[in-house]
This record gives sequence, structure tokens and C-alpha cells, in this order.
Amino acid sequence: MKNLILKMADDALIIGHRNSEWTGIGPLLEEDIAFSSMSQDKIGHAWALYRILNEELGGEDPDKAAFNRSVKDFTCCHLVEYPIGEFDFSLVRHFLMDKAEFHRYDLLLQSSFLPLVNLAKKVKGEIKYHVMHADTWMQQLANGNEESKARIQSALNLVYPIAFSLFEKQDDEQAVIEQKVFVGEDVLKSIWVDDIANRIKEFGLTIPSSIDSSAHLGGRKGYHTDHLEPLLKEMTEVFAIDPNAEW
Amino acid sequence: MSNESLDPRIRRLDLEHVKNGVQPTNSHWITFEVFHQEKRGRQAIHVGIVHAPSPEIALMFAKEQYARRKSTSNLWVVKSSEVFTFASEDEDIFETTPDKTFREPGFYKVRDRIEAYKNKHS
Amino acid sequence: MYGNTFMTAEEAKQMDQTQDNPQKLIAFEARIERGEKIEPGDWMPVDYRKQLIRMIEQHAHSEIVGALPEGTWITRSPGFKRKLALIAKVQDEIGHGQLLYSACETLGKTREEMLDDLLSGKSKYSNVFNYPAKTWADMAVIGFLVDGAAIVNQVINSKGSYGPYCRALERICFEESFHLKQGHDNFVFLATGTNVQREMVQEALNRWYIPLLHFFGPSDKTSVHSEKLMKWKIKLATNDDMRNQFLDQYVPKIREVGLTLPDEKLKKNLETNKWEFSDPDWDEFYRVVNGDGPCNKERLEVRRFAEEQGRWVRQALVNPQDKYVTPFA
Repeated sequence: MKNLILKMADDALIIGHRNSEWTGIGPLLEEDIAFSSMSQDKIGHAWALYRILNEELGGEDPDKAAFNRSVKDFTCCHLVEYPIGEFDFSLVRHFLMDKAEFHRYDLLLQSSFLPLVNLAKKVKGEIKYHVMHADTWMQQLANGNEESKARIQSALNLVYPIAFSLFEKQDDEQAVIEQKVFVGEDVLKSIWVDDIANRIKEFGLTIPSSIDSSAHLGGRKGYHTDHLEPLLKEMTEVFAIDPNAEW
Repeated sequence: MSNESLDPRIRRLDLEHVKNGVQPTNSHWITFEVFHQEKRGRQAIHVGIVHAPSPEIALMFAKEQYARRKSTSNLWVVKSSEVFTFASEDEDIFETTPDKTFREPGFYKVRDRIEAYKNKHS
Repeated sequence: MYGNTFMTAEEAKQMDQTQDNPQKLIAFEARIERGEKIEPGDWMPVDYRKQLIRMIEQHAHSEIVGALPEGTWITRSPGFKRKLALIAKVQDEIGHGQLLYSACETLGKTREEMLDDLLSGKSKYSNVFNYPAKTWADMAVIGFLVDGAAIVNQVINSKGSYGPYCRALERICFEESFHLKQGHDNFVFLATGTNVQREMVQEALNRWYIPLLHFFGPSDKTSVHSEKLMKWKIKLATNDDMRNQFLDQYVPKIREVGLTLPDEKLKKNLETNKWEFSDPDWDEFYRVVNGDGPCNKERLEVRRFAEEQGRWVRQALVNPQDKYVTPFA
């Protein structure tokens, strides 16, 4: 169960960190603000999850867990590690990821582990808005002009296979399912695939036909893209000056 | 692709890309007036505006701007072009309203008469 | 008369052609004298409109350009508390930019026109944002002292005569109170922390001292200020008065944690009740105003980049039928 919570925390921290980069340089002021809000939500989710690990399961202090851990010990998926790119990339990643987050937390409402149920209840509205935000922008840009439609479709072709890294299984998944903590990544994945397929159709876009996501797996076991190490180095630059100081 | 910025985010941007100057912007969206309802049972109050290409996006922008810090139960957006008002020089049509004290509860004072009546008849 | 008072930018400009009407000017000034606010639909002198646009626009630009020096450390904040605070704070600055652009639009200049003028260098923003944020401690000094200085200015301006600007400023001041608190919190943690932290914040303080003195503009002795601006309540306090108020409020808070400011002459004259300090180099101030500061070039390049890179997003959603409408209030 620790693995499940840790990977959720790592995913939320890294995507929150990435999306916070838009603050001040987005395509329009309102979207700087929106991406920034959602990144605060995500970092907040990560903080809450590290706290559950710390308070309920004997894990480290949240700041140490996030800012003082080696890259091998991170279990985030490849999807969250990539740089923000242009707005089309960030938007499509946000759309694909938040649909998964939405269903994951929805399934966790049935968890046997109460702290996760409580968190799922608490963040429900936030994630619902993240999905609403992504859907609205996808809908508008997929039906905007030729350029925007082509950009969104090509970002989708690029990101969709990587998004399957979200559902990479961990070694102890069977136990998590048996203890009814979480129904498992396969169940989540099939709900997500259907939901995404329906929305993409509504937007008038197409799902890439042949998908090989194997190259994007490994994150859950500590094998990351080349982007994670520099990200962590940057994120922890100040903290690392003195990890025992109070910042 | 690299530049000398102290900001690692900025170093990742290809600033050369726009060195040749910027075309003037000519994108106008719809102007919406935003109304904020703090909680159920309260009035929705005008708080400002957003520009957006559609009501859906206007609502999101309104949420980001006007519901970021305060409690909120709902937001309304209305196209500015659909809002009608009096001309500002006609403000004088309201001028004498405060003088109409017969519309105010304090205008009606009968306590003295009641007391006088009571004194007389007791 | 029933009417729909929204204006196109053209109409707003045309409205000013009645400026010569002396009766309207008398009524306008009497309204301000009575302490009433001016609203967008009102008649106003050409110079009033022009000066307000200039001021609010510069203020708005300062917010969005100001997000860049602070953004320098957005990916490097140490720990959850600081990380969330900094993202939220920089985000608010962008929000303030948006609010101020909207307030300025009521005077008849579109946001797009304002952004174009920023990018072409025609319109200015506060000098203080042309200085680099070299270390993490700059986040403490900017959050605490630059925001502190801005609040002195904004609280005063929120008592001005133009309704939409006052309303925007009230909202901004409310939000900035968190900026100041988080800046002070960061400042105090560094000042009372390890030796490394303390040295870091002292070094940052030394660098920001002059830009902070410059923040309120040249001394009243040398700067030309318009009687009109004061009379019309566009400007409500002199540069020196605001600077003095800032030093009054913040020097003690710097000194109480044992930090110093790099100016031996800095002290309060108890007879005049005014702060005295070494005259900061005003040539530098004018050099930075005219584009030759340490970061002017980068700041504008980044804003240009953001505008250019994001153009396709904005253009994709333009509907040719949507005519620009000046906001209402």
C-alpha cells in the first residue's frame, strides 16, 4: 500500500512542479493563472499523500520525502516527467492525466484504507474542475482553426502512448487489491481508455491507432526518463544547501 | 537555444525564436461582466470582467480570477454588450429619493401621541 | 434617457472632444472635491484620461513583468510551504495584472494595445523589476520589502478618484496582505536561521536597498509634479512622503532581526520626523528607466516570447463576429 500512495504522491508532485512553470509565461494571463492554480492543487495532493505516509505508515517527513530523495527512489511515471513544451503538449497531458486522476480518486472512495477515502472526498471537487478545464480547452482548440486542430491532434498522437505509463503495475499490486485498498491499475486503465475514447470522438479528434507504450514503462520501478534527474536537481537546489535547516 | 537567464525555466525557452520582433495583436474576445455569489442565500455581486471566446471559458476565467481567494457558491457571466444602464449625466433623476422621508420608517413617530393619550385617559 | 453605455475605444476617444466645455470641467472637479468617484461613463478631461491610462497601464505591466524576477525561483522553492506560497504569490501578480488591464480598458485602451505598447517599449513598468533575483533570499526581500513598498503606494492610490482603479486596488491590497506576510515569514526564517541563511538574506538586502529607494521615484526637489494630478486625485502623495512612510514602516522590522541596511547615513531625524539617507544614484535610475538596467532586455524578451508562443492559442478562438466591447466598470 505504501507503494501505491508513494507513486500517487510522486506523480502529483512532479506534474504540479512542471505545470507551475507556466506561471508568468503562458499563452494568456488567464491560463497562467489556471495552470498555476491546478499546480497548487496537485502539489497540495502530493503533500497530503506524503503526510499520510508519514503519519500513518511510518514514512519520512513530507519535505524530506519530496526534496531529499534520490532519483532512483522516485516512482512517478514517465508522463509527468517531460518538460512543459508548448501549450498543446501541456494541455493534452493535463487532459489525459486528469481523467486518470479523476477516476483513480473516484475508485478510492471505496478504499478500505480510511485516510485515502478522506483524501478522495476532499479533492473530488478540485479534480472535477481540472477535468472541466481540460475538456473545455480541448473542445475549443480541437474546433478552433486548422492550426489548433492539427496541433492538438499531433500532441495527442505524441502523448497518448506515454499516458499508459500512469497504469504501470507495481510488484505488490495483488496485495493492494486483496486488501481492498484499490481495485488495481487494469480496472482504472479500462475505465480511462473508454472515457478518453468517447471524449476524443466528441472533440472530432482520433486516437492514434497502433500504440506501443512499453518504452514508457519503468517509472514505477525507479527507471526514469532523462528529464527527471535535472528536474529534481533544480527543485531541490535551495533545500540541498542545508536539508536540516528550516526554510 | 540557451540564454543567460538566472531562471532555469527561462533558460529552457528558445528566446531567439522571437528576436525579430512581434506582430501586433488583433485578437478580440467577448467582454463579460462577472457576478460573484459568496454563499447560498446571498446576492450575486458584480466584481469585474473577463474577456473570453465563449461563456464556458468566461466562467473558467472568472473562477480563476474572482473565486481564487474568496469563498464562492456560484459565478455568473453576462456579456457586457447585454448590460443596459442609465447615462451617467442622468444620475440626477435619483437625487430627491433620500428626501422622501415619508418612505422611511423613522418618519412615523406616534409614541408621543400614545403617551399623551395614555396620560389623559389614565 | 435609457441607453446602453458600453463604448468602443473610438467612442471613448470621441467623448473627450467635449473637453473644452468649462462647465463640465467645473462639475467634474467639484465632484472630485466632494470626495466622489469618477465612473467610466462620466465626462472627463482629456488629460485625466491620458494620465490615468498611463498610470494604470504601467501598474498592470509592473505586475506581469514583476512575476518574472520572482518566477526565477518558482521551480526551486525549498519545501512544500514555500513552494506553494511562491507559486500562489506569483500567480496573484498575474491576476493583478489582469485586474488592472481591465480597469484601464474602461478608459478606452484595449489590453492588446497595452501589451503591444509594453513589448515595443513604448510603455514602461516599474524599474525595480529590472533587477535580477540572484539567490533564494531575493524571494524574501522582494516578497517582504518590494511588496511592502508597493502596498504603501497602492493603499494611497486606492483613495484616488477613479472608481474602477480604486476597486481593483482594494482587491489587490486585500490579496497583497498575504504576499507581505509570506515574504516576512520567509525573511524572518532566513534572518533567524543558520549562518548561511542569514548571510544570504543580508547580501540580498544590500543589493535591493538602492532599488527600493528608487522605487518611489525621484525626490520632490527635482521631479516635476503636476498640480492637476493632485487636484484630480490621480496622485495623492508625493514621492518623498511615500518613501518616508515606507522607511518608517520597514526599517524597524529589518533591524529587529539584527540585519542592516548598507547606508551609514540612514537614520530618522526626530525633529523633522523624516528619514535621512545617502542620496541614491539617480543617474542609474534614469539609465534603467531608459532600458539600460541589468534585466530590461531579458524581461521584454520573455514577455515577447510568451506572447508569440501563445498567439496560436488566442487566435484559434477568435470569432470575427465578436466586436471588442469596452468593459463596463
